[in-house]
Amino acid sequence: MIAKVVLLVEPDKVLGSVYASALRVKGYYVCHVMTAQEAVIAADERCPDIVVCEIQLVRHSGIEFLYEFRSYTDWQTIPVIILSSVPAMEFDNSRNGLQDHLGVRKYLYKPSTSLVLLLRTIEDSLSVNNVAAQD
Amino acid sequence: MHSADRQGPEISQQLLLSIAEQMKLPLLQISRQVELSRLGLEPDLNQIQALAANTLYLIDAYSLGLQLQRQFKFELTPDSVSVASVLYDACQQLDGLARLYNVQLELNISGKYGPVLAHKRGLQSAIVGIASALIETLPAQGNKDKAVLQLATHRCRYGIVAGVYATVPGLTSDALRKGRRLYGLSRQPIVDVSHTSGAGIFVADAIFKAMSLRLNVSRHHKLYGLGVVLRPSSQLVLV
Repeated sequence: MIAKVVLLVEPDKVLGSVYASALRVKGYYVCHVMTAQEAVIAADERCPDIVVCEIQLVRHSGIEFLYEFRSYTDWQTIPVIILSSVPAMEFDNSRNGLQDHLGVRKYLYKPSTSLVLLLRTIEDSLSVNNVAAQD
Repeated sequence: MHSADRQGPEISQQLLLSIAEQMKLPLLQISRQVELSRLGLEPDLNQIQALAANTLYLIDAYSLGLQLQRQFKFELTPDSVSVASVLYDACQQLDGLARLYNVQLELNISGKYGPVLAHKRGLQSAIVGIASALIETLPAQGNKDKAVLQLATHRCRYGIVAGVYATVPGLTSDALRKGRRLYGLSRQPIVDVSHTSGAGIFVADAIFKAMSLRLNVSRHHKLYGLGVVLRPSSQLVLV
């Protein structure tokens, strides 16, 4: 079975490697990048099945990356999960924008998201996508 | 209440917010590391220790900044301090964190500079604070090469500069000025440099302020960084 590719956009090296280790244990192929620019290049090279993205990045934010990412037709149906240190309630006013324009499946707040919850969310998002693709 | 009286508590509150934001990161790192064991992976105890130690330094530096601010109102007498020894000690303190982030830590204290007038513990805490903030953010700068952080000293027109330098082109006077305006209000006050709150930089800023010094953007050879100009201690030059 071919491993699903997770594009992990996480600016902190240590935290990123912890998330990557957890994902690898579950059989995913992880492409960990730290900047928005690297993320666009990695998406082009690796064709990810899912994107897990932090909003707070150096220079260009995760939101800027997602706008760029969604501007390509090939990448419009790839599920995106936001995993951020910014509480979700700060995005209450723009939740529709995140869901409708950027196709964000789930917004996870890092401090209250265990590795198990992250893995489950990724699994669920991928299975929903598979069902949609079969339909 | 005079505006000068209001400044102290407001600054410390902003710093506290900045530190609270910053503290999320190491606590998250430790918590997720521990959680790895539930997935059958061994957590890296050395990593956990280095992260905890660095967080404790930050808290220590914050309380020192507050103490210095209070003392300054009465009298803060600086000592004669060797910049080279302060940078050396800071380097030792930062070693664990630098290894964790795969940052090459360099010490550039060549050149014979006499002692300077400074509060030794304050100077060291400030340097460690700045360096920690930069170490965390260096891998996220998008450079392919191994990141290098240099603790260095050099002479300038006004005295002796002690600073922390790296290849961070976004570290400009304008970025620092904006950061000073935004810290405690924004989660990411120096957006071109750091993905965190950069609390270490602002704690250092507060410590230097309490010592009547000013943190500036500075260059060392081809590296960008933050440094402080220290007055040479003429007292010991005579000896």
